[in-house]
Amino acid sequence: MTIGLYHYLVLAVTLFAIGFFGVLLRKNTLIIYMCLELMLVAATLALVAFSRFNGTIEGNVFVFFILTVAAAEVAVGLAIVVALFRRRGTVDVAKLNALKN
Amino acid sequence: MNATINYAELVYALRPEIALTLGLLLALGYDMAFGRRMSDCARRGVAVLIGIVTLASAVFQTLHTNVPPVGHAAYWFHGAFVYDTLAHGVRLGVFGLSALTLLLIAGSIPHSALRTPHFKHPAEYVAIQLLATMGFSLMAVSNNLLIAFLGFELASLSLYVMAGFDKTSRASAEASLKYFLFGGMAAAFMLFGFSLIYGMTGTIVLPEIARALAVQGPSPLLLVALVMVLVGFGYKAAAAPFHQWAPDVYQGAPAPAAALIASASKLAGFAFFARLLFSGLGTVSGDAINFGGPAGWIMAVIIISAASMLLGNIAALAQTNARRLIAYSAIAHAGIMLLGVIAVRAEGAGPLFYYALTYGIATIGVFGVFAAIERTAPCQRISDLAGLWKRSPFLALVLFVCVLSLAGIPPLAGFFGKFYLFAAALYLNGLMSPAGWLAFLAIAMSAVGLYYYLVILKAALVTNATAGTSASTEKIRVPLGTVIALATSAALTIALGIWPDVVLGLFK
Amino acid sequence: MTIASHPYAFIALFVAVAAAFPLGLLLVCRLWVWAFQPPKPSPVKNGIYECGLEAKGDSWIQFKAHYYLYAILFLIFDVEVLFLLPFAAAFNVLSWGALFVMLAFIFLLAEGLVWAWNRGHLEWK
Repeated sequence: MTIGLYHYLVLAVTLFAIGFFGVLLRKNTLIIYMCLELMLVAATLALVAFSRFNGTIEGNVFVFFILTVAAAEVAVGLAIVVALFRRRGTVDVAKLNALKN
Repeated sequence: MNATINYAELVYALRPEIALTLGLLLALGYDMAFGRRMSDCARRGVAVLIGIVTLASAVFQTLHTNVPPVGHAAYWFHGAFVYDTLAHGVRLGVFGLSALTLLLIAGSIPHSALRTPHFKHPAEYVAIQLLATMGFSLMAVSNNLLIAFLGFELASLSLYVMAGFDKTSRASAEASLKYFLFGGMAAAFMLFGFSLIYGMTGTIVLPEIARALAVQGPSPLLLVALVMVLVGFGYKAAAAPFHQWAPDVYQGAPAPAAALIASASKLAGFAFFARLLFSGLGTVSGDAINFGGPAGWIMAVIIISAASMLLGNIAALAQTNARRLIAYSAIAHAGIMLLGVIAVRAEGAGPLFYYALTYGIATIGVFGVFAAIERTAPCQRISDLAGLWKRSPFLALVLFVCVLSLAGIPPLAGFFGKFYLFAAALYLNGLMSPAGWLAFLAIAMSAVGLYYYLVILKAALVTNATAGTSASTEKIRVPLGTVIALATSAALTIALGIWPDVVLGLFK
Repeated sequence: MTIASHPYAFIALFVAVAAAFPLGLLLVCRLWVWAFQPPKPSPVKNGIYECGLEAKGDSWIQFKAHYYLYAILFLIFDVEVLFLLPFAAAFNVLSWGALFVMLAFIFLLAEGLVWAWNRGHLEWK
């Protein structure tokens, strides 16, 4: 059995789904961040696989920028968590309920 | 790969963005060099002034760009950027809306933070807002998935920071986190959709995607990609069922940041997706004119639109918090703007652009009033607005004009926005089409919306602040920047209602 | 391996695998916990470090925000290299325009560093 495009795609979709369910089910913000990153990595993997099997370079270029965006996203996200922890003393999303009608 | 890359064209295409970059470097640089020696008030003033001058120069650069005639488009830098009437209008629109929200900073010092200034780092705030504006502008001119994604993320990341900028407030940080989590997930969905589209077509340039998809026709994989892209779109537009962040962010974010999220971000988002859906995925749109036509993204957009109108209007009726009420009304307006996305096929992007622009101006007016009230007393519940007409007749008047425009009362801009949009939707195939039914639902729901808008106005204009209510009776001194921003929004809301062709004429 | 000829079968497989994998993992975790790890919380077990010594205070306050700021600043230059490497690899065939664009990119990054420096984030307090 040779590894083909479908295998990469199934792996990418699986990673994406793990990330998605993690974001939905986990309560700790930092774990949720990791799951968000997992979703981005899944998209990255799909892009690289498509780029390889389509024979076009755009997918690889896209990946460079996604890595940068992911780094920036983590920086912003961690800044928000630090600000939140200083005010609330928790990073548990279930305990964030100050905003209500 | 083409070795002769024309960098002069790149510079030409991105002149407004370059102006914004230089402006934000100037704002940061000035603050680093002289900020510590200045008073807080002067520091904020200088930062806002640099921001306004930068946005003005970006507008100047945009005005000196050759706009192709309506129906044509110019492509720059190997098809990475597109320039047409919509891109031109959106660029001018987001620069203008961004400048209006910048002016609000002078007025935004919440009660809880009078001792510790709210905007301790005004230069950074201005710089981040300019970055967000740059993201909006990139979204307006992007013609390939990469630039679109980068613009989208630049805008989103800046807006997360702005939503959490009030470090003294618990609500601000929480709003920021919720915005970030929903936004990050939506961005991941959209990116995965992009990667599937790239995989199917082998290109990331929108018109080439359209050509490739026209050959391939609809496929299940394409449906998955469309759904994923629409999740990202629904989040950006705050359309149901992807709206959960909106009430929290509108409630918790500093008023100027909330105003930017509600105005310029919406305008750029809708323009970007109208382009993505029509220019990139137009050949697989499906049919909105007849029942039983081929399936495509139009049906999904219709469902999201109907859900947003129903949920937004009905949930808004139950709100006691003024900001959350505006958020749910924003969800309802997003539903109407989605109808406008469908109607692009009939009348072009003119009605959608007019609606999003006038909606943004009116929303800035409303948030500006909230920001000004917050100088003396909290402004969250609707009852906090009681007696506003005695505390500040000017604020009451601006709130009156802007809220009535949101409700869609003639002769204000909001009415004509709805009118042209519904007319364009009905033009597709009268009432006997999915789009026609949606327009009918939108008209019915606008009547529901009238009720909660009048609740706000009743609190502000009729109710007196008695001893029983929490509202303050203190007179409100409105700072100059806020006065300019509010007067401009109210005047524009009236003027664009009387002369809608000033905007619509661009698209004819 | 061949996928069934009907195009929808492919999508069904996608969705099934995507949903089944994480849900299956979660199910296995639940079963494991139910069978082998009934919860028996005690002060010792809930301690921050299971090393026998009593931890003083909350583990969260042990890290200064400065660690995090340093990490972000490192990240800036970490990512910078990502873009500089392809540029350097193709340097011979690139025009002056590319050099100018790259200089602008580095200038913008340097501005970030100067800002952090000026705000005192590089000084260890």
